Amino acid sequence: MGLSEKEECVLLDQKLLVFMDQLELLEEKRERLNSLIEQGWFSISKARYSMGNKQVSALQYGSEMEPLVRVHTRTLESGEAEFQTKRRTLKSPEERQVEDIGPKDKEGVRRRVKTQEVPEIDQSDNKHPWTETEPAPSSKPEPNPQQDPLKWFGILVPQTLKQAQASFKQVVELSAEVATLQSTVLTTRQQLQMKQKSSSQTPDLTDLTDLTDRLT
Amino acid sequence: MAGRGKLIAVIGDEDTCTGFLLGGIGELNKNRKPNFLVVEKETSIVEIEETFKSFLTRNDIGIILINQFIAVMIRHAIDQHMESIPAVLEIPSKEHPYDASKDSILRRAKGMFSAEDFR
Repeated sequence: MGLSEKEECVLLDQKLLVFMDQLELLEEKRERLNSLIEQGWFSISKARYSMGNKQVSALQYGSEMEPLVRVHTRTLESGEAEFQTKRRTLKSPEERQVEDIGPKDKEGVRRRVKTQEVPEIDQSDNKHPWTETEPAPSSKPEPNPQQDPLKWFGILVPQTLKQAQASFKQVVELSAEVATLQSTVLTTRQQLQMKQKSSSQTPDLTDLTDLTDRLT
Repeated sequence: MAGRGKLIAVIGDEDTCTGFLLGGIGELNKNRKPNFLVVEKETSIVEIEETFKSFLTRNDIGIILINQFIAVMIRHAIDQHMESIPAVLEIPSKEHPYDASKDSILRRAKGMFSAEDFR
């Protein structure tokens, strides 16, 4: 049993209100996104002023980069797409391999100095140096692809550059929300157009019944 | 939403790209092409359009961020893109503030209100 004209109009109005709400939310998020981007630029400009023009430029970009944030996408039945960011946490300095600084012994087995007395084993110290059976760790530190991009610009960077990074991190999160909303808005628009077309094509049922009565 | 996740690509001026790379979206290694393009005065429209189209064809990019003044240069290419993934977001640049009337998505959304709808 199809919907009556009145019910269709009510549904259309409800859909239109939802569409308007979505548009309003999209514009709000866009404003927030744009202001965060501007905030980020301002911080970058301040950092460039203190560090020098060439110190904060494309020349400083790393030769190898690994993305620290990715976006997960999902397409719903209605055709809408959802976007959600996921950020990887950088390894803390303690978790990374300890860099060996100082004169290196020959790679391989390290010889212990033989003494007559048996050395006491310190129970509190759980970190034993490498034993005769264990090889020395590699002296070449592996390049860390998950490096914080802040380090491209130097070891000690001004606070303004860190502020810029914080702003753009928020921008990235917000971008996913804006992308989801955009997709929602376009899908709702399509649904509205289809409903409008179908309601304009559907003839008035009362007219039809009158017509059939007259013919019979 | 399982899997490794997709990348966020950027086509923008130097400050825009620097900011987003600081945000951690950059990917660049010896084997693959970067997911960003720094647009300078010397960058041609052909290069911008080719980069945009290459981002569209890559299946590992979920969102493309593009400065609006650059989007205007390749408007025809952006308007042809109808798929929901990758999403294209137009963002302001330092010298060109964001103009909602030029945004492809908003134009499409608001364009439903034509004179015929009110008859």
